[in-house]
Amino acid sequence: MSASNCLRCLGRPSVAGASRGVVVPVFAPRTAAPFSTTAVQNALPAKPKSAEHQDRSVRVYRAGRKMTIKKKNTQDRGKPPLPGERKAFRKKIVLSNDNAFPVPWVTEMEASSLSNENKVGSIVSLPPALQDQLRATEAFQPTQTWGLFRKPSTLIRKETVELTGKMEKAVENKQTARIVLAGEKISGKSTMLLQAQSHAYLNNWIVIHFPDAQELTNGSTEYAPIPNTENPTLYMQQNYCLKLLQSIKKANEKILAKLLSVSNHNELPQNITVNQPLLSLINAAKEAEGAWSVFQALWSELNAQGVNRPPILLSMDNLPHIMKMSEYRSASFDKIHSHDLSLVRLFTEALAGNTRFPSGGAVIAATNRNNGPRIPSMELALKQRLAEQIKVVEGEEAPEPPVRDPYFKGYDDRVEKVLKTVEVMEVNKIGKREARSLMEYWAASGLLRTTVDEQVVSEKWTLGGCGVLGEMERAALLTMKI
Amino acid sequence: MPPRLNLASAFRALSLRTTPASQQPLLSQKIAAAVPKLATVPVARRFYSDNLTPENNNNNNDDQAPSSELAPPRSEEEEVVSLSQQQHKEDNLYALNRLELVAYGLKPFDAEEEGHKYGLPSLPLPSELHKDHRYDDVMGQITRLLMKDGKLSKAQRDMAMILNHLRTSPPPKLNPARPLIPGAPAPNFLPLDPVTYLRVAIDSVAPLVKIRGFRGLAGGGRNLEVPAPLAARQRRRTAFVWILDAVQKRKSKGSGRKMFPTRVAEEIIAVVEGRSGVWDKRAQVHKLGTATRANLMNNQIKNFL
Repeated sequence: MSASNCLRCLGRPSVAGASRGVVVPVFAPRTAAPFSTTAVQNALPAKPKSAEHQDRSVRVYRAGRKMTIKKKNTQDRGKPPLPGERKAFRKKIVLSNDNAFPVPWVTEMEASSLSNENKVGSIVSLPPALQDQLRATEAFQPTQTWGLFRKPSTLIRKETVELTGKMEKAVENKQTARIVLAGEKISGKSTMLLQAQSHAYLNNWIVIHFPDAQELTNGSTEYAPIPNTENPTLYMQQNYCLKLLQSIKKANEKILAKLLSVSNHNELPQNITVNQPLLSLINAAKEAEGAWSVFQALWSELNAQGVNRPPILLSMDNLPHIMKMSEYRSASFDKIHSHDLSLVRLFTEALAGNTRFPSGGAVIAATNRNNGPRIPSMELALKQRLAEQIKVVEGEEAPEPPVRDPYFKGYDDRVEKVLKTVEVMEVNKIGKREARSLMEYWAASGLLRTTVDEQVVSEKWTLGGCGVLGEMERAALLTMKI
Repeated sequence: MPPRLNLASAFRALSLRTTPASQQPLLSQKIAAAVPKLATVPVARRFYSDNLTPENNNNNNDDQAPSSELAPPRSEEEEVVSLSQQQHKEDNLYALNRLELVAYGLKPFDAEEEGHKYGLPSLPLPSELHKDHRYDDVMGQITRLLMKDGKLSKAQRDMAMILNHLRTSPPPKLNPARPLIPGAPAPNFLPLDPVTYLRVAIDSVAPLVKIRGFRGLAGGGRNLEVPAPLAARQRRRTAFVWILDAVQKRKSKGSGRKMFPTRVAEEIIAVVEGRSGVWDKRAQVHKLGTATRANLMNNQIKNFL
């Protein structure tokens, strides 16, 4: 008995007689179905692929059989959204809700509100002028719940008073408070930064705020090496600089109009001489080209020693993003360290305490936990600072600050050097007393439809991770149970 | 921030004990008037668990603490004076504690609630305390209709965003040609009660009947269409599926996690304002139902039903 398979190639002959002794190529063109008795060799040569076959909606599964997948009925839905429109929707910030009731006991924030210890646990609303300033510096974030209430208002926390107290003390001594805000996810670090800014604006400080450090280092803005800088080469980000200058101008317009320049700036696109308002200096930056030199000139003017200058608040959100290698590449295709970007360097120098503000001020940075990269050096440095800050009771030994893991390679000396002497403030959970005040505000606004008593406060406080403010908001305001 | 007054210790003081309580002076009249029941509750110190108050074993020498032996002996008069002073202080503190609890909204004098921080719930439990019925019935049902790929938690978050969108949008302008379900609240009350808003929208466009087809009964292989009533849950389901179909056709203007909830919420507002195409669907089904109700008299259908 002969085998039905060809022994040489394991191919099965389609016609027993025809293929005896002839090896049928496995990949011979087969137009007929495999069960057909028509000899493969007798078939006509394969047609070139028709247009139908090239259509992606038609898949050829087997010769002679087609399975067609119908395309979904795509309707013409008019013109697509314009470039940037979709992002604008995502980033839209709404600060009021006309349906919510105004809360009678909420007062407007004043210059001294945020540093008044007696006001801890009370809610204050942001005055309209301040709202515009905070909008200009992008201090509001779309994930926060400003849009639910009649007026944008904020809770004065224990930490708020502590932070503003440190700012005031620094200004009294003409020093710079250098603070890193750390804490859990959605515990209110960005809001604390907003409160610090509000305090600064209301007390006529100059505020320079970097709303998202990520934008500086994730390779989304243009960059170029600064001429005549070597070892290391520094890089400028002119487009970002222009945006920053415009936000500084919008937010600090009143003060900048009063401050006068103390030196000539011939290198700028527009010649600035002595005794011209700093506002006109900023106005010199009309295009991205030259924005960096304008910013440099502004920075040197603000820090001019021996002149009466207002205190400066330099703040940044999402700090971990500038504590790593950036996404930018140098000419030799090496990754550029974030601290070699000039704007970042300006901030880190101030954070490290190498810049002296003429009338004092504060450098405040907030870490982020949700979208932030894990920076082992930064985490270690913050832990060390926290351990050093613990007040030791007399007679007890101070706890040993944590040290580097000797078997781990990912530490970064530059990061640790910047964070060597900063003060770390933990934004903690809120207490039940603050929670109650906040929930009474929610209820009075008509957004929490329940009687606020000890039990309800305790319930939401517990649901919100024992007082994590953002989690409490999620439990009470972003819920299906209203 | 921990509360200034330690509630736990206050409740500890409430417990009634079999051991004889120390003789206490009457409360000052002012506090007693403010707290009428207080006088009936004896204040007992917990000798074994309380390590904060300094001990003085004046009247029961049997269970004396070793520390008192070491203490220098004091004259009897001195002891009585210091004891009464301390008692007075304790009572004041106790009374203040009770008042504080009343201010918190608790009932510290209710004998039934002793040992329970927030009292006992009244029985039978309301349905919202059951884990499977914690949400409004409409909410629970339509959230599951929103769900994709079994991600209930995401659907719930979407639903919360829908409700927040309804809360922040202006009150709807009603269309008299498209009346809402009878009993619906006035439009200016709707935004701050978004659950009712959603319920009104869905119930208003929910069809009363569906059309069933009986194959071949119309003769010549044709379907015989017969209207069939729907239960409340089925009606809501149909309505919300129609709404979701309309949402699919809506143009997406933005991106991000708020986009889908915004589209759903906009469709719901359109339903309440009478602009939505869902109303036409409902009218069409009702019209067909009216036209085909004669088919209910078909003998075979009669036998079947």
